[in-house]
Amino acid sequence: VMRLTKPTLFTNIPVTCEERDLPGNLFNQLMKDDPSTVKGAETLMLGEMLTLPQNFGNIFLGETFSSYISVHNDSNQVVKDILVKADLQTSSQRLNLSASSAAVAELKPDCCIDDVIHHEVKEIGTHILVCAVSYTTQTGEKMYFRKFFKFQVLKPLDVKTKFYNAETDEVFLEAQIQNITTSPMFMEKVSLEPSMMYNVAELNTVDTAGESESTFGARTYLQPMDTRQYLYCLKPKQEFAEKAGVIKGVTVIGKLDIVWKTNLGERGRLQTSQLQRMAPGYGDVRLSLETIPDTVNLEEPFDITCKITNCSERTMDLVLEMCNTNSIHWCGVSGRQLGKLHPSSSLHLALTLLSSVQGLQSVSGLRLTDTFLKRTYEYDDIAQVCVVSSEVKQS
Amino acid sequence: SNAKDAKSTSDEDDSRDIGQQKIQEEILFHEETIDLGGDEFESEGNETVSEESNNFVDKLNEQMMESVIISDSPNNSEDDTGELGCLQEIVDQMEAKDSQKTQAEVDKEEFLSNESETEHEETPKDISEIGTDDQTSLKEESIQEAVKEEPKLRNNVPVETKPNNIDESKPEDQILSPSTTTPSTEAEPIPVCTIFSQANSASTQPQLFLPDGFEPQMVKSPSFSSVIETPVKSNPQVVQPSPSLSKFFGDTVNTNTLASDFFDSFTTSNFISVSNPNASSSVPEQMSSLSNGGGGSSSNPTFPMQNGRSEAGGPPSSLEITQSPKPFSQIQAVFAGSDDPFATALNMSELDRRNDAWIPSEETRNVLISVATQQYSAVFIDKENLTMPGLKFDNIQGDAVKDLMLRFLGEQAAVKRQVLNANSVEQSFVGLKQLISSKNWKAAVDLCGRLLTAHGQGYKKSGLPASHTTDSLQLWFVRLALLVKLNLFQNAEMEFEPFGNLDQPDLYYEYYPNVYPGRKGSMVPFSMRILHAELPQYLGNPQESLDRLHSMKIICAKILENLEQGLAEDGSMTNITQENRQASVQLWRSRLGRVMYSMANCLLMMKDYVLAVDAYHTVIKYYPQQEPQLLSGIGRIFLQIGDIKTAEKYFQDVEKVTHKLDGLQTQIMVLMNRAFLHLGQNNFAEAHRFFTEILRIDSSNAVANNNAAVCLLYLGKLKDSLRQLEGMVQQDPKHYLHESVLFNLTTMYELESSRSMQKKQALLEAVAVKEGDSFNTQCLKLG
Repeated sequence: VMRLTKPTLFTNIPVTCEERDLPGNLFNQLMKDDPSTVKGAETLMLGEMLTLPQNFGNIFLGETFSSYISVHNDSNQVVKDILVKADLQTSSQRLNLSASSAAVAELKPDCCIDDVIHHEVKEIGTHILVCAVSYTTQTGEKMYFRKFFKFQVLKPLDVKTKFYNAETDEVFLEAQIQNITTSPMFMEKVSLEPSMMYNVAELNTVDTAGESESTFGARTYLQPMDTRQYLYCLKPKQEFAEKAGVIKGVTVIGKLDIVWKTNLGERGRLQTSQLQRMAPGYGDVRLSLETIPDTVNLEEPFDITCKITNCSERTMDLVLEMCNTNSIHWCGVSGRQLGKLHPSSSLHLALTLLSSVQGLQSVSGLRLTDTFLKRTYEYDDIAQVCVVSSEVKQS
Repeated sequence: SNAKDAKSTSDEDDSRDIGQQKIQEEILFHEETIDLGGDEFESEGNETVSEESNNFVDKLNEQMMESVIISDSPNNSEDDTGELGCLQEIVDQMEAKDSQKTQAEVDKEEFLSNESETEHEETPKDISEIGTDDQTSLKEESIQEAVKEEPKLRNNVPVETKPNNIDESKPEDQILSPSTTTPSTEAEPIPVCTIFSQANSASTQPQLFLPDGFEPQMVKSPSFSSVIETPVKSNPQVVQPSPSLSKFFGDTVNTNTLASDFFDSFTTSNFISVSNPNASSSVPEQMSSLSNGGGGSSSNPTFPMQNGRSEAGGPPSSLEITQSPKPFSQIQAVFAGSDDPFATALNMSELDRRNDAWIPSEETRNVLISVATQQYSAVFIDKENLTMPGLKFDNIQGDAVKDLMLRFLGEQAAVKRQVLNANSVEQSFVGLKQLISSKNWKAAVDLCGRLLTAHGQGYKKSGLPASHTTDSLQLWFVRLALLVKLNLFQNAEMEFEPFGNLDQPDLYYEYYPNVYPGRKGSMVPFSMRILHAELPQYLGNPQESLDRLHSMKIICAKILENLEQGLAEDGSMTNITQENRQASVQLWRSRLGRVMYSMANCLLMMKDYVLAVDAYHTVIKYYPQQEPQLLSGIGRIFLQIGDIKTAEKYFQDVEKVTHKLDGLQTQIMVLMNRAFLHLGQNNFAEAHRFFTEILRIDSSNAVANNNAAVCLLYLGKLKDSLRQLEGMVQQDPKHYLHESVLFNLTTMYELESSRSMQKKQALLEAVAVKEGDSFNTQCLKLG
């Protein structure tokens, strides 16, 4: 049995000299005669000669374990009815990896039965390859032997995530993927498979002149212990966004699908478990902005629309107060009744205000009071508007 | 895993000893029984993680990076008890009676593993105990195997334990910061480079000599140096100047050429020897104190080295006095001569200047200027600024092939093994070349050592004042280059050490105004500088290599700049004809290219692929004729990383570049690249087809032959693969007994049958007939 990792390329150590040096062209000639050098460019270290794997190496979760199983008749007798069985015992299950389960009728001396098995490794920890061979000797005696080959499956990646909640219902996911193997890793694909509630946009390319360019530049691979940061933007689908109560508490966002390649295209693939996120706590009453102008004129009233959602489990009776700040002046009556608001329902509210100060101003000073519980909720820094003098805007 | 593989590909060179043990075992998958200990640990870890996923909730608002469980099938976690039951079953089954009887391999490993099986029998209930039992028996095994395996084991430990570490530290991860995982970074073996890794060089270095079994030679045999150095002094030899360099650079088959010829050809400037063949000026440095420089005649060209060790005796003390840095005032340069040789001489000096040019550091330059201005009075130089080299170890002669033959094939077979050694060839450059080209590099190193001893730079001479000649430096270069070729990097480094940064004043011709009147530049061959710069990377210090290469690059660029500005190479105002300037620019451009080549290779070893690829692109500018090969090489780099798409792009570029050219070579290159691309796509059948295609147009292509055989193995055709490789080795053993081919062959023999030993021994016999003492026996895996 031999594990078939990808072969490696032979490297040679170039030692050159110049014509005037003592050995003349001897060293160069030696390199030319060496079959492992690249003809015409002998100084190039990386040759073309393939060499077979020299040790078992490491195997990582998500990679494919390939192994050559060869049963060779070392004796000088013909044996019959050979049955070769290869099983992989993991900590949780036992898998049969043999390509065929049919017995081979006979095996002549110095002949062999070959099989190459493949298995995508799905568990971390100890794996044992169990090879069992049964056969019948010429005398009709039934023989049976087993061999065990143990190996450890290691974790190749370390994945960490972080969520950002935007003012809108968008969620930004930052995912750090670290290569914890000992070899460089080419990341072929890192994608987020969103759960049914979300649409996803990948933010890992930059559009320049119509061509999308990876934010990671020319460095397409991860060195051992390197970490890469991926960014995704998740938007709730329309039907879920409207139902205010749905996206609340812990929600399933989706999972990351990672495909990588290492030496000579050795491939590995992993998925994370479902990423979960706590929806931002909005308290009992959520006030979000539906519309707001980005630029307004100085000392001129403008309108905004707010949406007030009852996130609590009880009905509320709300009173709206509007407090002026240094720059923001609310128009209209403060302290008006908004009426009863049932759980998970919302109401829209058009408000008018003006700013007396130029520049970027924060909209603040809204107070909602629930008369049932005599609890007041304060809403400051709801949004920003840019206030310009009217001349500027007209011109 | 690939790094490991790659590492050992090249590691095989310098850590053969480890390799041998390791390889045999690992390829056979470590025949042990089931290790329950490891299991427990890991599955526990898994569970904790999945439980923690519930706690994610609590930490969500903390805007911290969270660790995420990776799993293909998230529902995989199962009870410990269940799995253990399973494993127990195996243990029980393993007691099935006849397994041992039929098991083919009856080597030690297996025996040990059986032992541990019985241990299982005895304590089938207590699971944890089984785990520890097993581990101890494992440990025993490795200790019994060889102590050498230890570094390898150590290397593995951090990797194996890591998943646990991380799992355990997960809660903190969430609360603290992503950096909490860094402890594991420390545990990780430092990755050095893909293609050639020195990761554990510290541990392997002391063993460098073991593969050849030569460690005792490191200890100096007291007889050696005195034996060799005395003849130099006791025989006031006279040197015959040789008329021209070409005699020794060309492939003269003049076997009667004497060592003395070679010596003076380098020792003295051609300028002198050409113009006046009998000039007395051509005295090697040992002569200077003997004051017989003027009395030289060509009557006695015998060189004492011919007699080798036989001429012993005489106190070695007087020699030391001779090596003062004092200029050789006794020597008169003779400029007289007919017009014709004078012209040749001028031409030679043109060549000399071009080749030897180097820009010394400010400090060195000042010393050289003071030497020039006070020609006859001694210039006082700090001892630290002088180059005082000496052999650091005795001959490393010995023939690993023969040793193996003695061990496996018996004395009779071993007697047949005849290789040249330092005694069996002429004690001269001719003999040296003979040894080199017959691949008896160890003997060649030995011979270099003898010749250097004759120069007063032998064993124990390090740290004593020495004077240098073109000759001695060339000998040093050859010796050091061969050490590197033999992968004896440690030795090379030791002997390189006294040379410092190759910029000491006594390494410049200007330092010896009397021996080399008018000659300028450095005695150090450019190739030796390259060697010096490249060496640290093989010893696990590629950064130092890069530093050295960078300073070389700066000087090369400066020389080119000087040439462009109409100055001489070293920046002096010398008139140079257009033709010579052109030739010089060409030479220095190619040298600069060579430096870039080394940089690219070094970066590749450092696994800094982005920079390496950039550097190879630069090399293309200097060696445009190598563009297709270099582009293919870059493609292979990407293939190694796993970036198949970019590799394909480069291979397409190669096809574009070679489009205009035709010829066998380019055709092969294109096919080779296509085959590699298929390899990258896991399509071994297609790859095999392309390699076979190459063989159709060039049946002797070793690479294609070997690679096709490798593909066959991956396709499950072991016998076919073996047939192909065997056929290839038999067809032309001279070329195909290459270590990579033999390595593949022995690996397959091991896979094929437990009786691989016989076949390996047959290979050994084949090797014995064809290969010299530099053959790396590790690839036969006969350990």
